[in-house]
Amino acid sequence: MRLYEYEAKELFAEFSIPIPGGKVAHNPEEAVAAAELYNYRVVLKSQVLTGGRGKAGGIKTAASKDDVFEISKELFGKKIKGYSVEKLLIEPLLDIESEYYLGMTIDRTKYELVMIASSEGGVDIEEVAANNPERIFRKEFEIDEPIFSFDGFALAKKLGIVSPQLREFSSFSTNLYRLFTHYDAKLVEINPLVKLRNGGFMAADARISLDDDALFRHPDLAKRGIEKRHEEGELTPREKKAREWGIPYLDLDGDIGMFPGGAGFGIMGNDFIHYYGGKPANFMDSGGGPSPERIAKMLILLDENPNVKAIFGARFGGISRCDDFAKGVILFLKEHGLSKPMVLRMTGNMWQEGVRLFNEAKNETPELFRNIEFHGIETPIEEIAKRAVELAKGKK
Amino acid sequence: MAILVDKDSKVIVQGITGGAGSFHTKRMIEYGTNIVGGISPGKGGQSVEGKPVFDTCAEAVEKTGADTSVIFLSAKFVKEAAIEAIRAGIKFVVVVPEHIPIHDMLRIRKEAVKYGARVLGGNTPGIMTPGEANLGIMPDIAFTPGRVGTLSRSGSITYYIADTLTRTGYGETTCVGLGGDPVLGSTFAEILQLFEDDEKTKAVVMTGEIGGVYEEMAAEQITMMSTPVIAMIGGVYAPPGKRMGHAGAIVEGTMGTAESKLKVLGAAGAHIAKTFLDIPKILSELKV
Repeated sequence: MRLYEYEAKELFAEFSIPIPGGKVAHNPEEAVAAAELYNYRVVLKSQVLTGGRGKAGGIKTAASKDDVFEISKELFGKKIKGYSVEKLLIEPLLDIESEYYLGMTIDRTKYELVMIASSEGGVDIEEVAANNPERIFRKEFEIDEPIFSFDGFALAKKLGIVSPQLREFSSFSTNLYRLFTHYDAKLVEINPLVKLRNGGFMAADARISLDDDALFRHPDLAKRGIEKRHEEGELTPREKKAREWGIPYLDLDGDIGMFPGGAGFGIMGNDFIHYYGGKPANFMDSGGGPSPERIAKMLILLDENPNVKAIFGARFGGISRCDDFAKGVILFLKEHGLSKPMVLRMTGNMWQEGVRLFNEAKNETPELFRNIEFHGIETPIEEIAKRAVELAKGKK
Repeated sequence: MAILVDKDSKVIVQGITGGAGSFHTKRMIEYGTNIVGGISPGKGGQSVEGKPVFDTCAEAVEKTGADTSVIFLSAKFVKEAAIEAIRAGIKFVVVVPEHIPIHDMLRIRKEAVKYGARVLGGNTPGIMTPGEANLGIMPDIAFTPGRVGTLSRSGSITYYIADTLTRTGYGETTCVGLGGDPVLGSTFAEILQLFEDDEKTKAVVMTGEIGGVYEEMAAEQITMMSTPVIAMIGGVYAPPGKRMGHAGAIVEGTMGTAESKLKVLGAAGAHIAKTFLDIPKILSELKV
């Protein structure tokens, strides 16, 4: 979960990492009021959950009251890589002497935490790594290993930082490390970490990405309004609805409704449909052990989607049991009804019970099942995918 | 022969008194898995499916000689449970729950390395040695004893591959679920080496998906193997910048695309399958 810059800077302040100060504005009037504190010599920074804001024109400087008003008005109407700008961070302009990079992340391949520092700040660090690898310094840590001041001194020395700034830079790195471990971060990045003309260091930018799965350990964050959020641009109406129902769902541009079980086969099944000449209308993931109600909702999303011409259904019961799956499908058929053709394969844990439930319901109300072609383990899943493509093309 | 588990593995279930824990304990026992007990702090002395429940792993190890554990607990309790098992002397821990905090997985991995234990997951369907042991949530209908090993990030993919190998008469030695979480207890490379050392395993099918770097890390291992490896990667048609279900399943820039993974694995000597039905074709060409 990515934090907004102003949120990240709040956490920085909590861990004694110097920040420029500044205020969040929600409209041009608030921007002007905030800028007054700094004599209108400010930088206006769009708060969006994407990188490359500067290049996309989301960060501007101003030197007068009119400037602040006009620029903030322009920024508030802007979209940056699909994200609307709803908040600006108004900060005083800094008198910068030099720019550094300091970051911390997890190396999943080595199961280590790694602190990364460079004297090339304010630019894309991946480019520095590619073009000037000798300007990048790493220090690895095992999880829960303490950091010492001398670790910070060593990094500072490599960056060419000398006394009297040595100790200050060192605290920067140790505080960053403490913040990283305390908040279960995946990434904390200061780019640039600036050295001011009057001497001190400051975090001019701040980027923090936290682990969603560890938020239960940090109830204090929710109190500050830092909660789980959607980070990938704007949602379609159906994606919004799915999200309210807690179903991972993406709209795609094809016509085959994908009702595939877990994420693993959701991803692979999408490929299969393409291999057989079709195009999926969506990606969807039932999650582990979905309830019958959830299964029914997944089908509602597909049946109500006008782009969907046929539905590809696959359930290989593991943690998700076939009996629950069958109950969900039957619930959907009874309460909503299926208006599209669906080819469905069901096998795995509790498949006998699932089949029994289907047969029972079908005997009672055969008309509800008229659009379903049902298969078990005897039919390879590839045949089901091919059939879904045929159905979408109108073949009986 | 098999890898990691067989009929002699002495297995405890952590979280045996919970809903999923008791349901799957019953299934695992019915399959013939040697379940020797379970853990549920505060419920020591009870029994589930005829197996004794202990308060701590140390007691279970002392009384039953347990060497393997399957965890069915919610994510926030997994760190404690896994580390407890490892420190009690359990050598193989299977973490079924999903959404384990990343820092916790690093802690678990650190303990595992220190104590010489191996961890699978989180978010693994478990591990199955057909005819001998079924640890986790895998549906036995898909599996039959045979000569191909499988490893995958995803549960359903594991079942589809086994289903295909079963239907075409190859069968499986052991099927390993690595897990769908972003940081995993074991890597493809580590498990591939176990298959390489297993005499009965004549070929390995590994499947991965977009996102992360675990698949790429397997490449070096594949170049050193004499056992043929068939690789399959899901997400060739995944839209970039969109997360597909699993926490790690996202293509960012050129990182973690199916194309890059397939290219690296192919260059390392893996045989690439596009669909499950390609797998028996390749096995037949390889004369496995």
